[in-house]
Amino acid sequence: MQATKLPLKTRIARMTPAQLALSCVMTAVFVWFIMACMILPIANLLKTVFFEGGKLSLDAFQKLIKSPRAMKALRNSFILAPTLSLTVGFVGISLVLITEYFDIKGAKILRLGYLTTLIYGGVTLVSGYKFIYSNTGVLTNLLASVFPNMNRNWFTGYWAVLFVMTFSCTSNHMIFLRNAMRAVDFQTVEAARNMGASQWYILRRVVLPVLLPSLFAVTILTFITGLCAMSAPLLVGGKDFQTINPMIKQFADMTTTSAKSLSATLSLVLGLATMLLLAIMTFIEKRGHYMSVSKVKTKIVKQKINNPVVNVLVHIYAYALFVIYVIPVVLIVLFSFSDSAHIQLRQLDFSTFSLKNYAELLSKTTAYKPFVVSIVYSALAAVIVGMLVVIACRYIQKHKNGAAATTLEYSLMLPWLLPSTLIALSLILAFNQSRWYMFNQPLVATLWLLLIGYVIIKLPFTMRMTKAAFFSLDNALEDAAKNMGAGEVYTFRRVIFPVLLPTVMAIAALNFNSLLTDYDMSAFLHHPANPTLGVKIKSLTEEMGNSSDGVALTFVYAVLMMIISSIVLYLVYGRGGRESIKE
Amino acid sequence: MIQLNGIEVRFGDFTALKDINIHVKEGQFYTFLGPSGCGKTTTLRTITGFIEPAAGTVMVKGKDITHVPVERRNIGMVFQNYALFPTMSVYENIAFGMRVKKVNKTDIDRRVKEMALKVDLTEQQLSRKVAELSGGQQQRVAIARALVNNPEIICLDEPLSNLDAKLRVQLREELKEMQAKFGITTVYVTHDQEEALTLSDCIAVFNKGFIEQIGTPNEIYSASKTEFVCNFIGDINKLTPKVVQAIAQQTGRALNPEAATYIRLERIYVNHSDASRAAFQARVIGAEYFGLYIKYLLEMDGQTLKCIDKNDGRQYLKKGDAVEVSINPADLMVY
Repeated sequence: MQATKLPLKTRIARMTPAQLALSCVMTAVFVWFIMACMILPIANLLKTVFFEGGKLSLDAFQKLIKSPRAMKALRNSFILAPTLSLTVGFVGISLVLITEYFDIKGAKILRLGYLTTLIYGGVTLVSGYKFIYSNTGVLTNLLASVFPNMNRNWFTGYWAVLFVMTFSCTSNHMIFLRNAMRAVDFQTVEAARNMGASQWYILRRVVLPVLLPSLFAVTILTFITGLCAMSAPLLVGGKDFQTINPMIKQFADMTTTSAKSLSATLSLVLGLATMLLLAIMTFIEKRGHYMSVSKVKTKIVKQKINNPVVNVLVHIYAYALFVIYVIPVVLIVLFSFSDSAHIQLRQLDFSTFSLKNYAELLSKTTAYKPFVVSIVYSALAAVIVGMLVVIACRYIQKHKNGAAATTLEYSLMLPWLLPSTLIALSLILAFNQSRWYMFNQPLVATLWLLLIGYVIIKLPFTMRMTKAAFFSLDNALEDAAKNMGAGEVYTFRRVIFPVLLPTVMAIAALNFNSLLTDYDMSAFLHHPANPTLGVKIKSLTEEMGNSSDGVALTFVYAVLMMIISSIVLYLVYGRGGRESIKE
Repeated sequence: MIQLNGIEVRFGDFTALKDINIHVKEGQFYTFLGPSGCGKTTTLRTITGFIEPAAGTVMVKGKDITHVPVERRNIGMVFQNYALFPTMSVYENIAFGMRVKKVNKTDIDRRVKEMALKVDLTEQQLSRKVAELSGGQQQRVAIARALVNNPEIICLDEPLSNLDAKLRVQLREELKEMQAKFGITTVYVTHDQEEALTLSDCIAVFNKGFIEQIGTPNEIYSASKTEFVCNFIGDINKLTPKVVQAIAQQTGRALNPEAATYIRLERIYVNHSDASRAAFQARVIGAEYFGLYIKYLLEMDGQTLKCIDKNDGRQYLKKGDAVEVSINPADLMVY
């Protein structure tokens, strides 16, 4: 600690040659990465939108307004986002109340069912729903046998997207809102009851207000998810309900400059909307969370619903939700052992169960390659982003309030403000030609681009978590090491890093997990000869109904994903989990 | 041994320490005492090198170490929460400093075991993780870790503040014994006056970044130089001008009734008159039983007075009892 900050010259003069060299290399790496991979590509994207033909113009926006497809996509996104916030909010709150507040029979089993979205999400989840509800789906077949004249294509468009996304977006509620519910001090409930308040009144006036800040935050996250929806509109939206992101992808895939410019404009609109929403969220976060003022906090005791009719209705509702959450998972697991013919007919016959689909995945290069590609990319990105952020956080911790540290922090948090499609598009537009700052190497259609994209999108989450871990470290540990003669690097290597390692590894595991089935970024940046798992599952899901082999493969992928995700989540949050991450 | 000359420390616009001058003799147990935020820890951290002063010099054995980095000072430190490395075993914690200095393994092993023996840590405890130890054992590890590198000075920053009352007293005694055994120059920071009085050879009382008084425990307690020190150390009564005037009249001592006049609780005599003292009639208005002694609250000439009486088996006084109180003018502290 320096009482008065030493000038840069003095600090440099006090460095050993090795420390000086290390500092120079690190500075060069960070400046290059931030400029070449983030700032300049985004600047290039802005140039594409605002400087068409070398002159400042707003033509791109005029083109956007004139394009009926683009405007329809915009409108659809802005219809989907608020309605999704409402439906997810309703379902999410009910999940938390069912599992944490009310005394519901079988709550532990129900909780497991509701938590399935943590191990099974994105494009995999949409494919699961499609298997049940599409024109050849299990439920559709069942309904058609009862109502032969029904429209088999009933599960498509806005309502289908809303349904799928409602049940796939409750993960945030199950993590953040559940934590907030657990933080409610039961003594406040008892105090309210002691003063004669009814069950409904206590829920409305005592419990829910404590959850409000978390609820606002998760609602905004849901709104952003709705705006940036990609796989659900692509797979179940049909022709009539396409949103901004699929449209950006479609325009970006076209070869004309005009289409590319339209794509960039759409991504910019999405980026601005995201920034605005995140600003609102930050404002809400700053207003703070309600903290229990009790000296001794009491854990929530589950509340019995006094009214018997309401109690039965709530139980029916809870189990209906459980069925919606669990059926796709159960069917995917079961059908992954079934043969092609039965998958085609959507019929379960246990006598035909085998490990053939799994064997095929392991033996066919085309089948296992996407899996290996995703594992390698996710692992590499998780490790690289972890390393970059640990070094950055160490610098920020050592030089907090310094201009360089603040710039570094904001630069690495920048991707938080930008939708992944905007980042992906900016990388494509920047690196479809050689750039001096990328050593004159065009990166499009190379293996590097997706890796860069993955690293960039995982920076903000990793920064927030790692920085929190760094700042919760006891400064006295470092002082103690120095007091015993340890230098900067030795202290970091032997004292600080070992303490942080469990948290760093847990964050890397979570990053690995979420990148494994990524579709949004992969759809833009993947190498044509090396599709990722998300891309492969999406293409196989589109074939659903035509090729049963492809569907079987999708199920095997999904099962393996669920196993990997469960292991990762168990390591992070489970018995071997780390307190820092749990908090 | 340690000399702080005109030390000034600033945090931005805020001056945390101003003109601090201290001389710690070799082998002395020197305590920095004061309320929270008074600058005692800042002074300690200036000695250890965590803070570089804006002005003044830090000298150890006549050598100026003001700008010597912390890792090269060879001053041991025990932190408030011990700062034991949670990922390392007790052995690794104690060996840390020697490993940094690349001492050979055999020497490390020998010195760690010797030091463990000196601070009453068993061989089994050496292989444990620090989180598995009790508060007292953790303190011993922290001391062992600070002493194993043979520092010339050891600094302790409120090492007993996180412990419960009983353990604090027990470890205080152990700490004093250890200091005597090692004979090492010790600088100790505390806000606990009892701790400072029982442990120290010399005390510096801090207030708002300045030193109010430096002296032996007895000087600090019985001859407090400033009103702040007098109030900060121990429980005390401030006498009203009327009582001060009465004392002056009865004893013939020249006392200024307008001056701030204090007397310690144990210097007030109850039902124990003497010709050299001023005597007053008082009434008991409250009593607190402490086991070892009883603390009475008396009402005397419009003044509320606290005093203590040894619990020697006599029946103690009850609320409403009339008593005679006597005060020796020599026991008064006037500012």
